[in-house]
Amino acid sequence: MSGLIHRLSHSHSLVLLVYIHIAPSQEYRWIGVHRAQKQAPSLRAVPILFSQHSMASPLLLLPVLMAPVVFAAVLAFLVRPRPVRVPIKGRHVFITGGSSGIGLALARLAAAEGAHVSILARRAAQLQEARDAIRLATGVDVAIFSADVRDADAVAKAVEAAGPVDVLVCNHGVFTPQELEKQDLEEVRFMVEVNLMGTFNLIKAALPTMKQRTKVTGLPASIAIMSSQAGQVGVYGYTAYSASKFALRGLAEALQHEVIADDIHVSMIFPPDTETPGFAEEHRRRPDLTNIIAGSSGGMKADDVAKKALDGIKSSRFIVPCNFEGTMLSIATAGLSPQSSFLTALAEVLGAGFMRFMGLCFQWNWFSSIENWHSKKKGL
Amino acid sequence: MASLFFLFLLLLLPLVVVLLLLAVIVRPRPVRIPLKGRHVLVSGGSSGIGFALARRAAAEGARVSILARDPDRLRDACDAIRRDTGVDAAALAADVRDPAAVARALETVGPVDVLVCNQGVFVPQELERQSLEEVRFMVEVNLMGTFHLIKAALPAMKQRGKETGLPASIAIMSSQAGQVGVYGYTAYSATKFGLRGLAEALQHEVIMDNIHVTLIFPPDTDTPGLAEELKRRPEITNVIAASSGGMKADDVAQKALNGIKSAQFVVPCNFEGTMLSIATAGLSPQRSYLMAFNEVLGASLMRFIGLCFQWNWFSAIEKWHAKKKRK
Repeated sequence: MSGLIHRLSHSHSLVLLVYIHIAPSQEYRWIGVHRAQKQAPSLRAVPILFSQHSMASPLLLLPVLMAPVVFAAVLAFLVRPRPVRVPIKGRHVFITGGSSGIGLALARLAAAEGAHVSILARRAAQLQEARDAIRLATGVDVAIFSADVRDADAVAKAVEAAGPVDVLVCNHGVFTPQELEKQDLEEVRFMVEVNLMGTFNLIKAALPTMKQRTKVTGLPASIAIMSSQAGQVGVYGYTAYSASKFALRGLAEALQHEVIADDIHVSMIFPPDTETPGFAEEHRRRPDLTNIIAGSSGGMKADDVAKKALDGIKSSRFIVPCNFEGTMLSIATAGLSPQSSFLTALAEVLGAGFMRFMGLCFQWNWFSSIENWHSKKKGL
Repeated sequence: MASLFFLFLLLLLPLVVVLLLLAVIVRPRPVRIPLKGRHVLVSGGSSGIGFALARRAAAEGARVSILARDPDRLRDACDAIRRDTGVDAAALAADVRDPAAVARALETVGPVDVLVCNQGVFVPQELERQSLEEVRFMVEVNLMGTFHLIKAALPAMKQRGKETGLPASIAIMSSQAGQVGVYGYTAYSATKFGLRGLAEALQHEVIMDNIHVTLIFPPDTDTPGLAEELKRRPEITNVIAASSGGMKADDVAQKALNGIKSAQFVVPCNFEGTMLSIATAGLSPQRSYLMAFNEVLGASLMRFIGLCFQWNWFSAIEKWHAKKKRK
């Protein structure tokens, strides 16, 4: 008898599948649903729980098959917050950084889905161009507001003028990659002010009327925050940017606890490099090593990111990845974040160990690249 | 019997293979950072965990500088360190929010070997109720303050590393609130999570200069800072924070210093902290292949436990609100 033992690990219970070649002259006793025939040599997969000599009823197979189902059911019971659908049609969507890039794509998509859209940005001219572009594409007129998110008062005024918000999309962001040693503290401060404080200013301004609105309408609201894959892992050149994006996650995890009772649902979107004017700016400044390392993740079009983002917002997902690598990253960095989908929770629990291993492989690759680059530079 | 033994071996084999693989791939490579005779600078070093760290480092033979705002508290701290260890610590009065003051202070004490960015302020409150000034205060001190410190110290640290050939350390005091955000901690968790993004990227940038980044994640620690924080804590935060035990400042300082000396990237301080660190390992670097092994094996269970915690916390929030409604 030759045997190949294949090990499957399933939420820490081990199931051994034994492939056994049956020799026609030998008699075997089988556990399980298949009863082997003496004269039929074949390779069969038979679940064997203890030893091939013990005779047990097929009922022993049941717990093995039921385990994943039971586990999924346990997760379905456990996952918090409970999943909700956040409707977009006819509701007020307020998007910052909405005059270009991902924000513009989001505004266009939301308008096309029948939402009443407001976009906020700094430059009036760009806002008007954005409004024209959206009108051309969807026939819908969006409201435009000019303000710098770093100015809490200006933000409060704009939000007040726009009226109560149902879906707040904190999408604005600036990014200048550079080694911290070389980077000006002014630039670091710029990123922290815009990306982090700007988001605080927005949420502070919109929250009171959002809470009232959900009471009045009885419909769930959403606060969506545009993060980045740089908000899931910090890499060479991104000390300031990753700091600001990681910070948004701490904010979001705590915020969800505070606003869940008001039927407001927090979503974080984690796009990879996306083809936007912002990215073109960033790319010019990127250190060599950042390019080498960031090359690991594929780029996306703004419209595709916007689609993923909106889908995630509508299903009130806390973490919204935008591509395959993003999904892997999200499983690896799930941490203690809330999870409203029991299927995703299942993927996270099952994939966590493997993803940590993959993460370690990535760091091995990145540190090796850094080493190689420096040796090459020294050798010149 | 033979089949059982065979089974056992085949179960063990993949684990051994994983362990060996990890031993090969873990980066950065492990390093020991000596403290004796080296310059350790601790911000927020006049009280709490910082003071305990400074005292321990002095006891281990380091040359210690402490940086804080209040000159009187600095003087008391230096007196205490002298009394307990016989070492004269240098006192630097500066506010970490002021980059020029920080740069000036660092210049007076010379190149740093171990920079401990330990300063921190924390005011827990629901974001809806909290003033933006307080939010900004935490961001400026905890996050920007650390940027200022590192910017000021880095050039001389690199130079020093070249001259001495010894490994240096940038240690950053985070918190368990920097591993998971909970009710009442929007601003504080934001700053502490931010420090992690900074640390992960910084390690890539300074590894070739033999500088090693360490993040310490203490739970609630018995310090004057905590006493202040507890006065302001929302009820729900108390309920949730009870999930993790408290510690004494000196014990945290010991764990921190050990972690710094072994150049660990993530330094938990107690059992819950170790579990949290495995759950939130994410894509952080890991030098110890044994710890990496724990992370890979324990990740699934930890994610499940994390989901249980969120179930517990959201239920607590629900109950609290239901109780409030009835009143």
